[in-house]
Amino acid sequence: MRGLGAGGLIAIAFGMGSYYATDHFGLFSGVNALLGGLALAVATAHALSRLRGASAPPFRGILLRGLLGIAAALLLAAALERAAHHSGVQFDWSFEKKFALSEATLAALADLPCPLTASLYYEDFDPRSRSTRLLLRTMAQTGDLHFDERRLDDHPDEENRYAIGTSNTIVFRCGDEFQTVERPTEGAIYEALYRFRSLESRTLYVSRGAGEGDLERTDALGFSGLSQALVTEGYRLRELVTASVSEIPEEADAVVVIAPARPLPGEAIDALHRYLERGGRLVAFVEPGRESGIEDLLARWGIRSKSAVLIDPASGPVDGGAPGVNPIAFHYATSHPATRGLDSSRMTFFRGARSFELRKPRPGDKLSGVVFASPRSWLDPDIAVLSSKVAPERPPEAAEDYHPIAVAATYPREGKQARIVAFGDSDFASNRHLRTLYNLDLVLNSIHWALEREPDITLRPKTSVATMQFPLPLANTLRMFQGLGLLLPELLLIAAAILWLRRRSA
Amino acid sequence: MDVISARRTATEAEAHRSGVRIAAKGLTRRFGRHTALDRLDLEIEPGEAFGLLGANGAGKTTFIRLLTGYLVPSAGDLTVDGLSPAREFKAVRQRIGFVAETLRLYPDLRVRSFLRFAAGARNLAGAPLRSAIDEALARFELVDLADRLIGHLSKGLQQRVSLAQAFLADPPLVIVDEPTIGLDPVQQEEVRAVLRGLRGRRTLVVCTHDLGEARDLTDRVAILYRGRLVALGPTSEVLGAGDALPLFRGDEGARR
Amino acid sequence: MRPLLALVRKEITVLFGSPMAYLSLTLVVLVTALIFFDHLRLYNQILFLYASSTLGGFETGTVPDYINLRDSVFFPVMDTLGITLIGVVPLVTMRVFAEERARGTDEFLVTTHLSAGQIVLAKFAVTYFFVALMMAASFVYPAMAIHQGGIGAENLLAIFLGLLLHAIALASIGLACSAFASSQLVAAVAGWAVGFVLWDFGWASPFLGQTANRFLDAISLHLRYGSFAEGIVSLANLAYFVGLALVAAAVARFSFDWRRVAG
Repeated sequence: MRGLGAGGLIAIAFGMGSYYATDHFGLFSGVNALLGGLALAVATAHALSRLRGASAPPFRGILLRGLLGIAAALLLAAALERAAHHSGVQFDWSFEKKFALSEATLAALADLPCPLTASLYYEDFDPRSRSTRLLLRTMAQTGDLHFDERRLDDHPDEENRYAIGTSNTIVFRCGDEFQTVERPTEGAIYEALYRFRSLESRTLYVSRGAGEGDLERTDALGFSGLSQALVTEGYRLRELVTASVSEIPEEADAVVVIAPARPLPGEAIDALHRYLERGGRLVAFVEPGRESGIEDLLARWGIRSKSAVLIDPASGPVDGGAPGVNPIAFHYATSHPATRGLDSSRMTFFRGARSFELRKPRPGDKLSGVVFASPRSWLDPDIAVLSSKVAPERPPEAAEDYHPIAVAATYPREGKQARIVAFGDSDFASNRHLRTLYNLDLVLNSIHWALEREPDITLRPKTSVATMQFPLPLANTLRMFQGLGLLLPELLLIAAAILWLRRRSA
Repeated sequence: MDVISARRTATEAEAHRSGVRIAAKGLTRRFGRHTALDRLDLEIEPGEAFGLLGANGAGKTTFIRLLTGYLVPSAGDLTVDGLSPAREFKAVRQRIGFVAETLRLYPDLRVRSFLRFAAGARNLAGAPLRSAIDEALARFELVDLADRLIGHLSKGLQQRVSLAQAFLADPPLVIVDEPTIGLDPVQQEEVRAVLRGLRGRRTLVVCTHDLGEARDLTDRVAILYRGRLVALGPTSEVLGAGDALPLFRGDEGARR
Repeated sequence: MRPLLALVRKEITVLFGSPMAYLSLTLVVLVTALIFFDHLRLYNQILFLYASSTLGGFETGTVPDYINLRDSVFFPVMDTLGITLIGVVPLVTMRVFAEERARGTDEFLVTTHLSAGQIVLAKFAVTYFFVALMMAASFVYPAMAIHQGGIGAENLLAIFLGLLLHAIALASIGLACSAFASSQLVAAVAGWAVGFVLWDFGWASPFLGQTANRFLDAISLHLRYGSFAEGIVSLANLAYFVGLALVAAAVARFSFDWRRVAG
């Protein structure tokens, strides 16, 4: 009988081992598991029969106490686990902190108009689905989310319906709507959830026709990413063709001008001025070396900028530029809503920027810098420094100061409040840099502020993750392997040999 | 050998008798369909050297295991100084020193380490532990072997180590199961000499199927056959009056 | 307390006084290092191939983002280690109780002042200590390599914690099997069988309903272990491993009662 039990255990071990080795629970695994289980059951029954004839109270008492002990341990184990599970306490020690949901995601989960279902579509052997599964579980614990997993091979019709192009794709369903997320980072999920929200749409008119940043251009220099982000955040985008505009449409909640390369028509500038005078909102991106007329408009509203390049030696050489030419900013107006949450650990990156001087046109106007370069920054009037690789030298007359790179201003006009946000650079919002550091949050939050949508100001979760794609040089790997991987077992074996020889002679 | 003299007059033995009283009433132990002990009635007096005899499979080891609490009776009662090994095994263990049938020691431990462990496991510590170990090493002539690995000792020496650990806490009951099995004649005599010297100050229960050993070491004997008691009485009477073999065979009419 | 400490000291002396402990440590360290090194070498080869096809003019684009140190080396190694330990740890635990029984020294232990609970506690504690030592030694090389790859100390600690808890869980299972088994071989085989069954219940999911599958997920070693590898240290998973050790200890303790009754 003992042999039967041992044989049963061996059969189970081989059956399960085969399943793990091949990831396939087939005939071999099934038969072994079944026969092994049966053999074990028979052996157990025989072992129990040895208790036959036992009737003394201590006998029963002893077994009962022992079994109660096991039952108590099981109950305690289950209770501990369930209590811990319901508490939801977990620590995200991952390198990217990708399982610690941001406040933005939590708010998006809480703000959904309908129950949310998430289906993870995956293929066997896809290692990425593990992380995604864990992320969805974390979300399910904190929000009202039901999630399930579906093998792509088993659901070909859904693959077409939801336009699923690859494994490790999540399809979120909220009511009749769905969002497909193919690279499920927390940021991508957040944006998908955001799109379910019923937001009161605001209309942005984006200037076009004078070489401005192109919202439809998808390469690195384009601004399609900004366009998508604005749509996600609930904005309708309209074109403002500056060549033919005489008045800014009434429905425009704000006008966005992205660093025109050519001068804007005078009529367009005047139209913008009148728009602001009646309480309109302007978001302007300027560049050093460009004078399109928008800079003069800003100056009329107290936001002056020289066509000089902001140099910040504290930033060093970044993104291939000369040292200080592409500043990384980590000084912000601490109490301004547009930069809420940004601090010295949440930086923004600019590529060739100009700075501003502020002088309020009328009493009651409020103008403030919101993003500043370091106190060692200065202004270089030579635009050629943008393409130089040599560190620019500060002339004695160039003062070091906290030069503002972005400003925000309010102007009471005609019973309303005009608002202007101006950035001394446009590249930071291009496709190439929009998702660098906290650039996206700066742009979107500033626009939200301009449109008095302050409750929507938040720091958004990231859509990219560090991939650790660099190889470990073979020489390093070999040295480590020999030094640690082999040396340690070698020392252990030597210790074993010495011990054995000592014991033999003891 | 430094043998502790245990030859006392009967009066002296009576006056100095200590040890435990063992009482079995209707003691039964079954393993499935097999009955290893069948309604055994037995009493062992404090200070007595008692022999338990029988052929292989008679139930001697089963009785020992019930006495130590290693097994629980299927029916009946067994007490050690009024305490049940099945229920009050903690209290019973404090009274027991046990030398097992085969040499059940730890071959990877040195003699002193093993005795230190055995003493610690009997709740000895500090100075009492050290002196108990030293006394045991001296009493059983193991001083020169204290740092030798147990696995490297001869069977006779290992049996001495086994005996030494049984006496560490000076227990009032010592149980010895087949003390000389597998030993050569010289080693057998050495072990018997030790046991002889320990008589009188404690209850001694010796399991053996060696009649000569029983005559040498015990005051009273019981003979078991297939779990049943077939003879009980003073050693000289049970083993002295004629051939005891029929008792071992369970012959009808041979009971005493 | 004194008897318990005496038993712990004895266990450690016997364990480290025998060459077998060092051989087991050697085996585990070597196997881990070889598995890791092999995956690392393969990863470097794949990166090299991708890089050279891009440079060589094939329009394969950049290296896919799933070819990275974590997904291509680290997680496969952790998965392989998880299953390898199921095979290795029972070889360490098989002797703990079964050897006492085979040698007959369990009878000796019973006649000391040690209670069954203390015997179980001491043997579990010493085995856990040895397993922890085993994991620490085998983790040194992967930890160095991964830390060079910039995963961060916190993430590494989470991974080591998962590995350690997984090994301790397997040790608990192995000890419970050793407590009931009549021989070391049976103890080892039982440890393998139980470990393999508990590792992953994916094979059963097509045959069961949602509730049953959720229950099996909750008791599956693989899912619990996997989240540590991702860097998540959840209280629920910690509680699971603690609970498993408790249950295994209760089962081992029961084996003493069983022996007293069944013989």
